[in-house]
Amino acid sequence: MASAADSLSVGIAYQIPRNSLMLLMVSQVVVVLPLIVHISPWIVAVCLICGYWRSGVYQGRWGYPSGLVKTLLVIGAVAGIAFSGYGSFSLEAATSLLVLAFALKLVEMKNRRDAYLVIYLCYFLIATAFLFDQSMALTAYEVLAAVVVTAAMVGMNQMQSRVRPLASLKIAAALIAQALPLTLVLFLFFPRVAPLWSIPMPSAATTGISDKITPGDVANLTQSDELAFRAVFDEAVPAQRDLYWRGLVYSEFRFGTWAVAEPLDALDPLDIEEASADSPERIGYEVFLEPTQSKWLFSLDTPVAYGGRIDLLGDYRLLNAEPVLSVLRYRLASDPNFTMDAELSDAIRARETELPPQDNPRLREYAQALYAQTGSAQAMVEAMLDEIRTGPYSYTLQPPVLPRLNSIDAFWFESRRGFCSHYAGTMVFALRAVGIPARMVGGYQGGEVNNVTGHVVVRQYQAHAWIEVWLPGQGWTRYDPTAAVAPARVENGLDAALSSEDRAVLSFLTSARFGGEGLLNSMLEFVDSLEHRWNLWVVGYDASTQSDLLSDLLGEVTPARVGMAILAGGGLCLVIVTLTLFLRRRPQPKHPAERLFQAFCNAMARQGHARGVDETPAAYIRRLARLAQLDAEPLVNRLQASLYDPEAASGGTDSRALRQDFRKLRFKLAFGTTGNAS
Amino acid sequence: MQTYSSSTTTLEDAGASRTQVKEHIQSLVDALNGVLLGKEQQIKLALACIFARGHLLIEDLPGMGKTLLSHALAKTLGLSYNRIQFTSDVLPSDIIGATIFDKQTNAFRFVEGPLFAQVVLADEINRATPKSQSALLEAMEERQVTTDGESLPLPEPFFVIATQNPSTQAGTFPLPESQLDRFLMRIELGYPEPAAERELLLNGDRRVVAEQLQALLNLSELRQIQAAVDAIKVSEPLVDYVQRLVAFSRQGTEFAFGLSPRGALALMQSAKSWALLHNRSHVVPEDVQAILPSVVEHRLRESADFAGHGGGALAQKLLGSVDVVS
Repeated sequence: MASAADSLSVGIAYQIPRNSLMLLMVSQVVVVLPLIVHISPWIVAVCLICGYWRSGVYQGRWGYPSGLVKTLLVIGAVAGIAFSGYGSFSLEAATSLLVLAFALKLVEMKNRRDAYLVIYLCYFLIATAFLFDQSMALTAYEVLAAVVVTAAMVGMNQMQSRVRPLASLKIAAALIAQALPLTLVLFLFFPRVAPLWSIPMPSAATTGISDKITPGDVANLTQSDELAFRAVFDEAVPAQRDLYWRGLVYSEFRFGTWAVAEPLDALDPLDIEEASADSPERIGYEVFLEPTQSKWLFSLDTPVAYGGRIDLLGDYRLLNAEPVLSVLRYRLASDPNFTMDAELSDAIRARETELPPQDNPRLREYAQALYAQTGSAQAMVEAMLDEIRTGPYSYTLQPPVLPRLNSIDAFWFESRRGFCSHYAGTMVFALRAVGIPARMVGGYQGGEVNNVTGHVVVRQYQAHAWIEVWLPGQGWTRYDPTAAVAPARVENGLDAALSSEDRAVLSFLTSARFGGEGLLNSMLEFVDSLEHRWNLWVVGYDASTQSDLLSDLLGEVTPARVGMAILAGGGLCLVIVTLTLFLRRRPQPKHPAERLFQAFCNAMARQGHARGVDETPAAYIRRLARLAQLDAEPLVNRLQASLYDPEAASGGTDSRALRQDFRKLRFKLAFGTTGNAS
Repeated sequence: MQTYSSSTTTLEDAGASRTQVKEHIQSLVDALNGVLLGKEQQIKLALACIFARGHLLIEDLPGMGKTLLSHALAKTLGLSYNRIQFTSDVLPSDIIGATIFDKQTNAFRFVEGPLFAQVVLADEINRATPKSQSALLEAMEERQVTTDGESLPLPEPFFVIATQNPSTQAGTFPLPESQLDRFLMRIELGYPEPAAERELLLNGDRRVVAEQLQALLNLSELRQIQAAVDAIKVSEPLVDYVQRLVAFSRQGTEFAFGLSPRGALALMQSAKSWALLHNRSHVVPEDVQAILPSVVEHRLRESADFAGHGGGALAQKLLGSVDVVS
């Protein structure tokens, strides 16, 4: 930090130009803006106060803070972040510290060196924003932010009297535009090295399926139209009723809440592959999963081929090696006819029939009576589904609140209004009560096909819960009680199953998406297709896709070849920029006679008879003609006429005559010169 | 560039009037040459200025023949003229005129000042105070004067031929830029050639010759010449050249400010006039180069010396830096 004595000695030449200070402050706001949602509100307040302080300094009302005040501010800031409740080395804490330091720098920014520091910090903050979000909208925004920051830097280097913010912005935009092709080349070719140290990743809560499910939770999810994932199928998209995106398996029930139990060991991918080797039908697809902060992945029943960093656990759910923090792209093949657990191990049987000893006594009684009546697991499931179908049960997004204890009793015998998880939970409980292995499965059901790119979009409101029952000989078999209470939900999607009251609670965009053919809907669809392509080509462009592309382009991928490709691409970009600059600086003379004369001048300049800048064509020709001992006047008259007399005919004969005269003069001069020299 | 042709001249008599115009110009140049010896270039510039309907400023040291030239110009052009001798106590009403009470008619009557003439010779204009100088401002641009809230048109044509001493001389008030810009050209006479001066010394004062000068043109003939200036044609490459000149003056760091659009227009109009004087139907770069110093010098300031007169060097800089052909 500069001391007071320092600030006095700052020469006027090192001060920040007042006009570029304005741009500098604007760019600070612009780069902090996307980070606001990730940092504490008090830091935003500090930023605003610092901005206000600085504007006071700018207007000459207040002074810069003294050394003591600055020290106190820094100590206070660090303490504030320490007590803000971030993790000790979380990304949010680091970002907060950065933003805070950035804001404090504002009030002590005095000379050019400080301003350059702020500008570099601005670029750094632009990069920081991408740790949280890599969407297309943010990228577009940050490119604009880079333009503003660059404009501030341009302003720093302009003459004091000639600083105009708009002109600086124009220059900056041109600079960024020139840099874009090179960026593209580096993006495509620069090796994607694994990071040397691990960066703490954002830990913000996201909406989505969680590993605990209380009936009612899933209904809340339908309020959100946030994207869950996109999927691209190799072949035709399966029917809506077959799109059961399996994510989590809930095996534990406690106080009205279903929870995912201890993860089982991973299955051997070779066994799975072998078991489905002669399956006739396989669905190949690729999923672009939005960040969930969790490890679980979604798949159609039953994934038989999956990548190396993914595990298939004993309950046939997929688990990624690390939490999904940015859009994850993974490729799967599912076999719908695969038999899950033809033989059930005792451990799993015990796990999937376990119930708390006291809860829901009425349902237990009901289940035992029903089982005694029906005799088999399959018949009992059918009987319950029949009960749901024919009984006074209804499907609603706004179920009544249930007690923690005996919640299923309260639902099944009293309220009888519920969402998918109510029905699924009841059935699993009833089946387990009579010793039939059953479990609840959570995920998404359905998906909207985007007509532009043909991919399937799955949003949070498609969250769903269903059950799996283990039947001897058939293994785990999927049953969906929702199909019994609201068949339209499974056949045609959520909107078909909703009553008008339910529709009223949906968000605006969700309703719009359900609207069908409207302009807004097709616009949303178009935006979605853009985002999908962005994920496909930009976010999803990782080391493996890069090496695919490189081997397509270069054949064998060697460091030397990659280096050559980068150099060639970079050189090409430079050539493009140079060419545009050259062509813009030197506009071709449009007038035919002028072009002809210019060519003649260039040729004569090579012979050592360059035209002076202020030498008129007539004077030039006369000078050359004197040297060549020729009569200049016919040529002078013809040239003057074709150049400067708009009424003189400027036909082809005219320019041919001119060209002949020029050639004659040149030859005579060249001959005469060599003759004199020898 | 559009070519402008006068509506008064039809195609049939264009050739005839061309020769007429040429003869008139030649006789004018000859007559003026007889008065001001060895100054043909300056005389032609002065004529070009008048033919382009511009006001003329003649600047030089005392005794160089400024007043003589302006008198001779007014006389030979056959226009009514008034001379105003500017001094530091001249008031605007001395120039424009004043409203006086007429006892006989019992009413106020405006008495026209010396400004109401076709040619106004404003002698030693920079010796007047800025207040009086500015009395000329409206007259020069709008060709009308406003007094007592009433606008009175000035005679047609209306020229101001002003003379001034260099501003470094004692007792001068430099003309403001706004007024300088209204003069189409500023010319300097300079010392005569030895031969011309010898003739002057041998044959005595030229004022006598000037007294005997006859009007060589009438009003319609002057208008014909002015129309002929407008009809001079300009080609694309030449407009490009003028635009490059103007652009250079606006971008170059030596220039405190660039040429105004009025300055660019003045350049073009003067070049046309010069082309007519040299019996051409179109403008060539030589015309632009010939008139450029006279047209731009008084409109330009060096950024290094904002108050001073750097115009001469700047005009040479313009000519030497801007390519004639793009």
